Amino acid sequence: MNQTMQRLSNSLQRTTMPIPRSNDFKLAALALAALVAALVPHVASATLGQPEITVQTDVELAHAAIKYSEDRTGYRVHEIQLSSGTAVREFVAPNGTVFAVAWQGPTRPDLRQLLGQYFDAFASVPRTKFTDRRHVQIQQGDLVLQSSGHMRALTGRAYLRSAIPSGVNLGDLH
Amino acid sequence: MVSVRALKTGWCVLLCLSAVACGGGGGSGVSSGPPPTSTNNTASVIVDEGPLNQSVNTLFTTVTVCVPGSTTNCQTIDHIQVDTGSYGLRILASVLTVTLPVETLASGNSLAECTQFVDGFSWGPIVTADIQIAGETAHSVPVESIGDSRLPNIPAGCSSTGGTEEDTVSTFGANGILGVGPFELDCGDCDTVTHGLYFACASSGCTDTTVPDNQQMPNPVTHFAADNNGVIVVLPSVAAGGASDVMGSLIFGIDTQTDNASGTETVLTVDDNAELEIAFNNGQPLASSFLDSGSNGIYFSDPSIVTCTAPPSDPTSQIVNFYCPSNTLTLPVTIQGMNGTMTDNLTFGVGNAITMLDTNFDAYPQLAGIIPPGSGVGFDYGLAFFYGKRVAVAVQGAVTTAGTGPYFAF
Repeated sequence: MNQTMQRLSNSLQRTTMPIPRSNDFKLAALALAALVAALVPHVASATLGQPEITVQTDVELAHAAIKYSEDRTGYRVHEIQLSSGTAVREFVAPNGTVFAVAWQGPTRPDLRQLLGQYFDAFASVPRTKFTDRRHVQIQQGDLVLQSSGHMRALTGRAYLRSAIPSGVNLGDLH
Repeated sequence: MVSVRALKTGWCVLLCLSAVACGGGGGSGVSSGPPPTSTNNTASVIVDEGPLNQSVNTLFTTVTVCVPGSTTNCQTIDHIQVDTGSYGLRILASVLTVTLPVETLASGNSLAECTQFVDGFSWGPIVTADIQIAGETAHSVPVESIGDSRLPNIPAGCSSTGGTEEDTVSTFGANGILGVGPFELDCGDCDTVTHGLYFACASSGCTDTTVPDNQQMPNPVTHFAADNNGVIVVLPSVAAGGASDVMGSLIFGIDTQTDNASGTETVLTVDDNAELEIAFNNGQPLASSFLDSGSNGIYFSDPSIVTCTAPPSDPTSQIVNFYCPSNTLTLPVTIQGMNGTMTDNLTFGVGNAITMLDTNFDAYPQLAGIIPPGSGVGFDYGLAFFYGKRVAVAVQGAVTTAGTGPYFAF
């Protein structure tokens, strides 16, 4: 168990001990731990198009901390704060599917982990006369990936069109 | 660090003012204007079709790099993109004929960088070079050698940051890039935090690492002996329909010579992300907006403007990310600095991207593209902002008669 895991573990104990009767709260915290695990390489995890996963206690939780989790109308959003300063948000449909992910910060998160099977679509965009280093928009099958920004401030998101719960405003997915 | 260099420059200026032998001064006593020096601080820039014969609204200059300490083992490289939205000189190793030494960390490992652009990443060792642009020289400056065969294996921690690998001229779209934005370094905290940016490479592979500030990629202007507090980009107006081979100047320094003196320009300071607020078409000010010579269009979100349709011959064309109004639109725009200063009476044009680009010009002042609503960026005012203007970009900590950097002024 590395230091970050230990910190998270301590954090969970601190959170849960004052309210030992709140199993719901504890479960929510453990679910969040799983989400944090999702962002670390080499760990099976929550990824675009995949379900929120079960808790894994043996994960390596480097470079991440939970910031908040929030139920919104029609979906739930988890924000994970990376030590790099970059924030990652995962948007979960009522059926448990991660239908969108978003990032914002000085550098990108591990997108191979975050995008899963959709990572390669972003890795093979040809340079054309329309290309600059500030914008990319991909629409490929079910996937939409949009990113903008500049050095030291990069932002982006990816979502699956077929998985967006009804009533969700795309403008809110950031 | 900038302030230290600015201080050094200040000392030079004082010494110059009191010395008889200062270049170009004429010896007629202290004037109220900036002290003249003999350094040629003006490089030529051009908006042309670029090395791939397809660039649009892309500004280039020419840079000379030398093996540190040598004045003969040098190479002059054209089509280096001038980018106020990044930091540092990066050159494609495939165009380099001089061998520049790779930086080593205290551990003895070689230092490499995985530069993240929005559309991808560029991997290569950090080398050191003496840089010459116009008459300016910077010694032993960190430079990225992109796609260098000395460190050919891209670590997973780099490629996993996503996007297209841009390690050749054809994928990068330029022979290199000169990042002269309003900060000194390309990373705010890489001395203490790892980002998937800097990597320490041993024979066993490369691992994400922190790097002391003096080994990180700097805006090379900040390493000039003088004229090191920023740049001024000067470009002519461009006809609404476009033009080819638009030429201008990249002036180094602000208030350091007679040709870069501040006047009555509007000074817009920027935040820690080099961003400010922009409102267009009488809408609300949009946060996370920026002025950027490295953007090829004017990018914003306006669902009321018709977007372009891909032609049947190219159904996956990225033209769909641009606006195609049937008649050119002229929209008011207000730029507000973090200092509260707002611009007056500015407008920009939105032309039909398909019609314009059919002309095969290089510069299009009315090329406008889409930022999807909610994608985290407000308004990106690209190279078109610089046409017909003299835009100063002052580095953080630079104190000029116009203000204190980081700022844009015009």
